[in-house]
Amino acid sequence: MRIVSKLLATVCLYALAQSAQAFNVFACEPEWAALTKALYPQAQVFSATTHMQDPHHIEARPSLIARLRQADLAICTGASLEAGWLPMLQQKSANAKVQNGQAGMFYAADAVTLIDQYSGTITPFSGDVHPEGNPHIHLDPQRLLQVAAALQQRLRALNPDASDEIFENYTRFEQDLKTKIPLWEARANLLKGKRVVTQHSSFDYLWQWLQLQKIADLEPKPGMAPTPGHLERTRQELQQSSADAIVIAQHHDKRPAQWLLRQDDLHTMPLVVLAGTVTEVSPDALILWLESLVASLAEQLD
Amino acid sequence: MKPQRFAKTVSIAAIFSLPLTVQAATPTGWEIGAVLDAGITSEKLELGARDKKLQLGHSDVLIRGPLGDAFSAEASIAFHTEDGDLEHHVENAWIQTRTLPAGLQARAGRFASQIGYLNEQHPHADDFVERPLLYRGFLGGHWYDDGVRLNWTAPTPFYLQFGVEAFSGKQLIEDAETASSPGARTLTMKTGADINDNNSWQFGVSYLNNRRQAEVHEHEEDDHDHGHGHDHAHGAEFSGKHFWMTDLVYKWAPDGNPKNQQVRFMLEHAQVSGIHPESGSLKHAGTSLGTVWRFHPSWEVGARTDWLKVNKPEEHDDDDIEFGNARLREHALMLAYKPNHYQTYRLQVSQQKASGASDVFDHPADTSVQFQVVFGFGAHGAHSF
Repeated sequence: MRIVSKLLATVCLYALAQSAQAFNVFACEPEWAALTKALYPQAQVFSATTHMQDPHHIEARPSLIARLRQADLAICTGASLEAGWLPMLQQKSANAKVQNGQAGMFYAADAVTLIDQYSGTITPFSGDVHPEGNPHIHLDPQRLLQVAAALQQRLRALNPDASDEIFENYTRFEQDLKTKIPLWEARANLLKGKRVVTQHSSFDYLWQWLQLQKIADLEPKPGMAPTPGHLERTRQELQQSSADAIVIAQHHDKRPAQWLLRQDDLHTMPLVVLAGTVTEVSPDALILWLESLVASLAEQLD
Repeated sequence: MKPQRFAKTVSIAAIFSLPLTVQAATPTGWEIGAVLDAGITSEKLELGARDKKLQLGHSDVLIRGPLGDAFSAEASIAFHTEDGDLEHHVENAWIQTRTLPAGLQARAGRFASQIGYLNEQHPHADDFVERPLLYRGFLGGHWYDDGVRLNWTAPTPFYLQFGVEAFSGKQLIEDAETASSPGARTLTMKTGADINDNNSWQFGVSYLNNRRQAEVHEHEEDDHDHGHGHDHAHGAEFSGKHFWMTDLVYKWAPDGNPKNQQVRFMLEHAQVSGIHPESGSLKHAGTSLGTVWRFHPSWEVGARTDWLKVNKPEEHDDDDIEFGNARLREHALMLAYKPNHYQTYRLQVSQQKASGASDVFDHPADTSVQFQVVFGFGAHGAHSF
């Protein structure tokens, strides 16, 4: 019994020490962790996922429950992107602050309008359809600005003492991004009208922004891994009307794209593997990452 | 098809089409969803829930959502076929707190107990067609009941949760010889963490105090007319006063990205003592060891081996209670195709071998081939680790 009471005392002391510490932020994806770092660098930020993971298919791991238990604010994309794991984390963490409807639960998708909203009937054969629309909004800098505007308000409301500082950081972030956007657009001018084959709708906001054309998807249905039959049909289509590149994200299985590029007539097409989100969590990570996306596409599709 | 059966089938079809017509996520946060689990079995497994030939497995229709800021609620009705009849029961009807302080959470109503690793998880998400033998033998497949729960998640850098539950126990032991209230109480501890980006684990210990002593049935010598000796109760086949369960789960995924590749190991052990007032130190025990490898984003292969050792109390002619000592072994191999969240196609081969008292496990399946299809409609809940 003495061991048990000692253990409980240690746990309680630890809990007290934790609660006295910095503002804890749980970000479902690294882009929101980086955005938080840009707006409020003093926050203790944890990213639940990395650019090497598919955010649709994360498991409600014990470590993530423990992290969410400690969070003062959770920042997630929403629009069902995390439907397979976040509700379980919210329930198991039993953290009152981060339940839906509380100030400590922030959904980025609520701050923007989404493309490709779906109002049709969804059957088991439709694939992993998000009726709310495409959740990969961080690939559009304009939408990123809208999310930043909403997030800085939330951060300031939860940290009134740091309100001025957060607003200053936000203004700087907004200016930096607004300065960069026309430069990136100029650099990407040569990409306009380029035809790309992709896997999943990961980069659809990027195509829309830089005016590239997505002519084929390696996925037969949203969220469904490429099948031999679908790849064969895609091959035939590409022989009819060629594409400029295959673009996939780092967390995608490369084998389907590589198979396609081994086929006759298609091997001259470049395979561009992009990081689907920031590769590190730092205040300037988002701008550096968007810059690298534009640079990679401009170099490899020229 | 009998008219009554036809009417039932039509009503089931109507219920499953409901989520198709209701938007998956309503503005208020309420969701409705359904799961259809159908299968074909070449030979019924001992303690198995699936009849020979075509059957409906654990299918359900559920609705869940928030009740104001402070509560959430869920209700579900489950369907399955048993000996050719369609059975249904309310499996979930609970309300749970969302905003208690200090990591506390309370629940009341009907729900699945959180003992063990698999019990609280929806059977349609299982890696194998049938639950491990220890669940089928000691918990009626999966044990839900009417009761209350209080959980505490500790503010530790690793996952640590303690929970207590009190249940009526009537779904565990339907016909009790003697009973106290509450009929069943549980204590659970769960902990877990990541070792690094690729490796994660979870460990749990549970204790179930059953205060409903099961009725002892008369010993029947080689009487094949009584089928598998199960009445239609959805309860424990072998029970006792004290259930102890331990579970260990270990998962590996390169870069922490289970979508492309993953290996999972699951080990569970259960021990049941206090079988009967006259049983002395006799125990039931069960162990399950399973592994699954997702070798492609849409494909999984898995193997599981199960041990079950029981001492079944039986009343003999002279009113004496004797204990039928018997063992059951089961091996299963499965291959699953999961093209997306909403579809699973599974082929499984199982083998069983029984030893000991011949009347306890009298129909072990030499080899059983099972094919299972699981379709999800509408909202699909998040799954546990």
